Order: sequence, then structure tokens, then C-alpha cells
Amino acid sequence: MAKSQPSVWVDPVYSSVITLLIIVMACVELCDAVTVVDVYRLVQYDLAGVPFGSRLAALNHHAGSSLFSSSAAAGAAADLSRTVLILPVRELNLTFIKDSAGISDHDSAKDIIKEDLRELEQLLIHANIPYPVYFGFEDDRVNAVLADVKKNDATGQLATATTGGYKLVVSAPEPRKIASPTITNIQGWLPGLKADGDSNQLPTIAVVASYDTFGAAPALSVGSDSNGSGVVALLELARLFSILYSSPKTRGRYNLLFVLTSGGPYNYNGTHKVLIPSKDLFIFVYTCAVGLCRDFDSVLSCYSGRSLDQRLRETIDYSICLNSIGSVSNELWIHVSKPPDNIYIKQIFEVAWEHEQFSRLRVTAATLSELSVAPDFLESTGGLSDSRYFVDEASISRSVKLVAESLARHIYGLEGKNIDIFADDSSLSVNPSYIRSWLQFLSTTPRVAPFLSKNDPLIMALKKELADHTVEVNVQHEVLDGMFTFYDSTSGRLHVYQVASVTFDLILLMGLGSYLVTLFSFLVITTRRERETYTNGQQLLQFPPGKAGNETQPAISRFYHDWCAFNTAR
Amino acid sequence: MTMFHFLNCAILTFGPHAVYYSATPLSEYDTLGTSIKAAVVYLVTALVKLVCLATFLKVSESDSFDPYQELLKALIGFVDVAGLYFALTQLTHRNISQNHKFQAVGLGWAFADSVLHRLAPLWVGARGLEFTWDFVLQGLEANANLVLCLSLAALGSLIWLRKNKPKTLIPIIYACAGIVATMPSITSYLKRGLGWHFPKVVGFELFTSLVMAFISWQLFTACQRPSN
Repeated sequence: MAKSQPSVWVDPVYSSVITLLIIVMACVELCDAVTVVDVYRLVQYDLAGVPFGSRLAALNHHAGSSLFSSSAAAGAAADLSRTVLILPVRELNLTFIKDSAGISDHDSAKDIIKEDLRELEQLLIHANIPYPVYFGFEDDRVNAVLADVKKNDATGQLATATTGGYKLVVSAPEPRKIASPTITNIQGWLPGLKADGDSNQLPTIAVVASYDTFGAAPALSVGSDSNGSGVVALLELARLFSILYSSPKTRGRYNLLFVLTSGGPYNYNGTHKVLIPSKDLFIFVYTCAVGLCRDFDSVLSCYSGRSLDQRLRETIDYSICLNSIGSVSNELWIHVSKPPDNIYIKQIFEVAWEHEQFSRLRVTAATLSELSVAPDFLESTGGLSDSRYFVDEASISRSVKLVAESLARHIYGLEGKNIDIFADDSSLSVNPSYIRSWLQFLSTTPRVAPFLSKNDPLIMALKKELADHTVEVNVQHEVLDGMFTFYDSTSGRLHVYQVASVTFDLILLMGLGSYLVTLFSFLVITTRRERETYTNGQQLLQFPPGKAGNETQPAISRFYHDWCAFNTAR
Repeated sequence: MTMFHFLNCAILTFGPHAVYYSATPLSEYDTLGTSIKAAVVYLVTALVKLVCLATFLKVSESDSFDPYQELLKALIGFVDVAGLYFALTQLTHRNISQNHKFQAVGLGWAFADSVLHRLAPLWVGARGLEFTWDFVLQGLEANANLVLCLSLAALGSLIWLRKNKPKTLIPIIYACAGIVATMPSITSYLKRGLGWHFPKVVGFELFTSLVMAFISWQLFTACQRPSN
């Protein structure tokens, strides 16, 4: 409904003001759609030059509800290049999708069929679709539109310009490549206690988790389990150990390094760059946590010019990578990799687990995960099916307690002793509300790395949180591996219009034409009598030439003129 | 094809005025000047009405029918009648018969009314992609309004311009003029008090306009016969 409508019906005079002031409203675009829905686009990326995902963004076609029209002869498919299909995920039959080339989806957020969604996501990510594909949430208005479209389709009409129906429009600019997407690693450093006279560097234990995600819809990839659970666990571990390390009496003889890496889905690009950074971007940020006694040795060595990476690689005893530890099942697997015997073996392209990036450089590392098998490339990276609903906080708490106890017993040399360091109801207990609030935050923040700017609020928040718990925080910006190219335009607004067909307009025009013609003829006929009087009057005024003399003419003409004037004046 | 729809609705709204002008002897007598003058008088009247409404009327949040407000609106609506009186009697017209004078004035009045109230919503709304029946109904309402304006002008000219009227017909003339003048209040009551939908209201307007036109035509021809 046009917004100016109410003014016409409520108060006729006010709308006349609009015309009196002669406002040109041609350029104002009023939102007159039946519905406006937020939609999120399928990811578009190139991998080593090969295009994947949805390649277009703008949309302006009629709506349809199924891949095949019910009345189609010989099962011919609906003309997909001129139709937009609305498909609820719960009614999706994936075999049809695999056969066809272009699809547009609507999915239900409340009633997720996780397995179907995961399969659909894998299908879409690895396909090259030359049409725009959008995901949206189901609500009443969309359902009403869909029901209407289904009803129209059931009558056998294909929606085109001549038959009317619904028109779906997403006006989005041409998607452009994101130039130099950055991945940001955040490192927090907790130095250990150096005994006097101990000139050797303390060994370091690293706890690593990747925080970014990748999914079919980048604006919806919140990755609660992969790897929101890992990030939350890392932050809780940092908090617990910062309490332990705050006093020199309880500080361990190990440095602790907490690393939040980016570029996880892309062969753990960020982890690789933590150990071998590029030369240019290396920003040092100093933080002094209140109450923490600074270890001046480590401060001086920072200024000494030796970069953190060299220190890291030399001193890392082992590193623990956390990946997806939040599922309800009580399983936890620890994965290690055997370094290749032959050092001349070329590095493999795909890195299945994060610890493999460490292992390649001969650093002992392991990954703790609920997954028993390594996920495929771009699988289990926190996509559409990975939502908060499926994550169990208790599992995360249990895993945190497990890792913390194991690390602490190793650091303080208490293996085998029956001591519960992080006992419940102590000051060192795992804080469930901390876990819950961070999990909630991460589950509502899409974290696809190329779309996160250098100063994204998420990165700032993680940096601040680590700065609260650690002595020194280091933010490292790197450029994503050149093999991946991403395109922008990840979300849009879908306008649904109810349109009338051209046939309707033509019929209306013909009806109007005949109405006006009828009106014209009716008026001509009813005023014919008057017309005849007029023409008769005119004729009478014109005398035949040479008949009457000058004397009679004026009199008769004057008389007749008066008579006509008398008649018309009444 | 939405410009198409706009053209259709514009033809429906403004076409009958042009057709009326060209089909009747109005075009032959070249009464365009009168119509234009009447349109200008309508504009001034609308402005005066706007000022009065803004001063005396309070903006109500609900869409219900408030008798007091409606009464006030009806009283202000009589400014319309005053304007029509002015247009019929005070303006200097060229030597055209009374028959044509009221037609020209009524035509100009209705055309100005349509342009003021219907052109802006039409331009803004009918060009969008979304289709509604409202603009077609609005065009039909413009047609009804044209007939009503002509009837009102005819009755007005009977009241003010014709000196010798049959005595029995005078109360009927005034009654009909009163009904036609208060048409806006009646339709607003139907819309908001009784909650009629727009198509129903337009149908009612068309019906009453035809009825009033017929009645005023009969009255006009009755008065045209020499009174004895």
C-alpha cells in the first residue's frame, strides 16, 4: 500500500496540500511491497581460479514453487531462467537439486533437519551455480506468499509477465572481489616463573583454537560448535591460568601462549602464519593486567628485536589445538600426526587438523576434538547447520576442566597425584556463566574471515578479553592465501510484489476505451436536439443572396437575433 | 507494465471530463474560460477549507466516526457551496446560456477536484510494481464525483440564477442541493461509522450520483418550461 493512501481517505483536504505545493515525488521510492524479507546470499568464491557458489546477486523475476510445474507436458521443467523458486528446506528433495542447475531456497530456522542441511550445504558449496541463491528465515508472511504461489501453480499456470502472480526483487550490485582479505591471529602470552640464575628460556605450552567459520551463507555462518566451543574453552582456560599465574607463588615454570587463529577452514592458514609470519605486519600491543606482576625479562626480550615467532618455535614444548568440543555426546578424541620420516616429502595440500601445521615444523602438537574422523575440506567449518541449539555447555565445561587439569598437573609436576586443582565450588572452578555468555555472543556473530575487517568488533572483543587474562597480547594481520578469492554482497532485502499481468492491463484499457466511446456517443445523442436548434438558427440568419432588399433585411435579422438571444439567455 | 496501469487509471479519472467537454455543445460555445475560472475558484475554496480544518479540527488517533468532528467537517464543507455560488454568480461570463454555464462551472469544479485529490496518489502509487484495485476504484469515484458536481451546479444555478421557479418545486430543489452538498460527510460516515469497504462505498457513490443527476435533470427541465 502506498504510504500516501491514508491521507486521501482520512482527510481529503490535506492531500490537496500536496498538490498545491507541487511536490515532485517521482524520485522517492516508497516501499510498497507486500513483504520485505532479509535474505542472505550463498557464498561466492574462487578456489585456485575455479569458480564456486552463486555467481550473481541481483534478482528480479516471478515466483514459482516447484522445480516442475504440475501441468507440464512430458515433465518439462519450469523455465528456471525466468523464475525464482521458493523452496522450504524441510520439503527439500535433494536428488532433484542435484539434477538441476539453478535454485533459490528458503529455509526454516526453527525446524532444522541438521543432516539434510549439512548435505545441502556441502552440495551448494562445491557447485557452480550461475543464478543467485538466497537463504531466508520462514515467517508468516513468507509462508502466505508461498501458499499463494503454490495455489497458482496448481492451476497450471507458469508465472510470467502475462499471467500475473508474485514478483521477487533483490536489488544488489554486481558482486566484487574482496581485495586482499585479511586474516587476524590474536596471541596472548602468559610468562612463567623464571628461577633466579636460570638463563635458559622457559618452555612454552600453546593452546590454540581457530575462531573463524565458513558456510553456505556467510552472513549466517555462526559456527557454535565449529569452532565457537573451542574459542570459549580457550578463553576460559586463559582466565583460569591467569588466576593461577597472578601470584609468583603459584606461577608455573612454563610460559603459556593462547592463540586464536583465523583462516581455519582454508587449510589452517592462520596457524601456519603464526609460526611463519610475513615480514611486514607485526603489531605489538602491550597490556598490563591489573595485579599481574610483569616479567621484565620477557618485556626486554621483546624489545631486543627477536620476534615472537622465533621464540615460539624454539621454546614450544607442545601445543594443544581445540576444535569442536561442544556436542552432547561424551566423546573426546585426541589426534596426533606422525611427522614424515623423509623431510623431503612435499607438503600436502590439504591440512585436515590444526596440529598438522605445527607438526610440519617439528613442533609436537595434538588436536582435541569430538570428531573421530578428520573433516573434509570445507566441511564442519561452522556453517548453516551448526547453531547454538546443538551445543551443550556442560560438554564444554567438562572439556575445559579436563584440559586445565591435565595442563596444570603437567606444569606443576603433579602427575599421578590425587589432587583436584580446578575443583568445583573453589575459586578456580570452571565458570559456566562465563562459558554461556561467550557462547551466546559467538553464536550470534557470523565469523567468515574475508568479511572481517582488521578492526572488526569481534576481533577487538577477543583481543580485549585475552588482554584481560594475559600479560601481553599480539595481534597479527596476514593476507589470506592467494588461492582463495571471495566476493562480497552477502545479504540483501527481498521485496515481494503482487503484480498484475499485461493481459489484465490491456483488457482494462479496452474496457476504458469502450466506456469513453459510449459516454461520448451518449452525450452527443442527448445534446443533438440542442445542436440542431443552434444550426437551424445559424441557417436562418443567412439569407439567400440578392433576394431581399436592404430595408427588410435588418428588420428580420434584428428580430431573429433578438429571439435567439432571448432563448439562450434563459 | 506499471506505467501502463498508471495511464489506465489516469484515463479513467480524467478522461470523462475531456469527453464531456468535447461531446456536448460546450466545446462549440468555447466555454473553456469559464471552466478554468471555476477551477481556480475551487483551488481557493480548498485552501480556505484547509485553513479552517487546521484551525478547528483536532487530529484524532483512532479511525472511528466522531459525530462532532464530522459535523464540523460538514459545516466547513459548506464553504464549498459558497465557492460554487461565487463561481456561478459573481464571475463574469461571456454571453453563454444558463444551460451551458452550470455545465461549464460544474465541469471545471469536478476537474479541479479530481486533479487535487487524485493525481498525486495516482502518480506515486500506481507506478509501483505492486498491484492494487484502489486506483481503479478511485477513478470510478472521480466519475461519480463529476456527475455529482454537475448536479450540484445545476441545482445551484436553479437556486441562484433562475428567478421564476414553480413554488412547489422550491423545497425539493433545496433538499436535493442539501443532499448533494453533504455527500462527502455521508461517504465518510459510511466508511468509518459503518465500516464499509472501499468498493462498496464507490458503488454507493455511483448509484447516488446517477439518481441525483436524474432528479436534478427533471427539476431543471421542469423549471425550464414557462411557468404558468
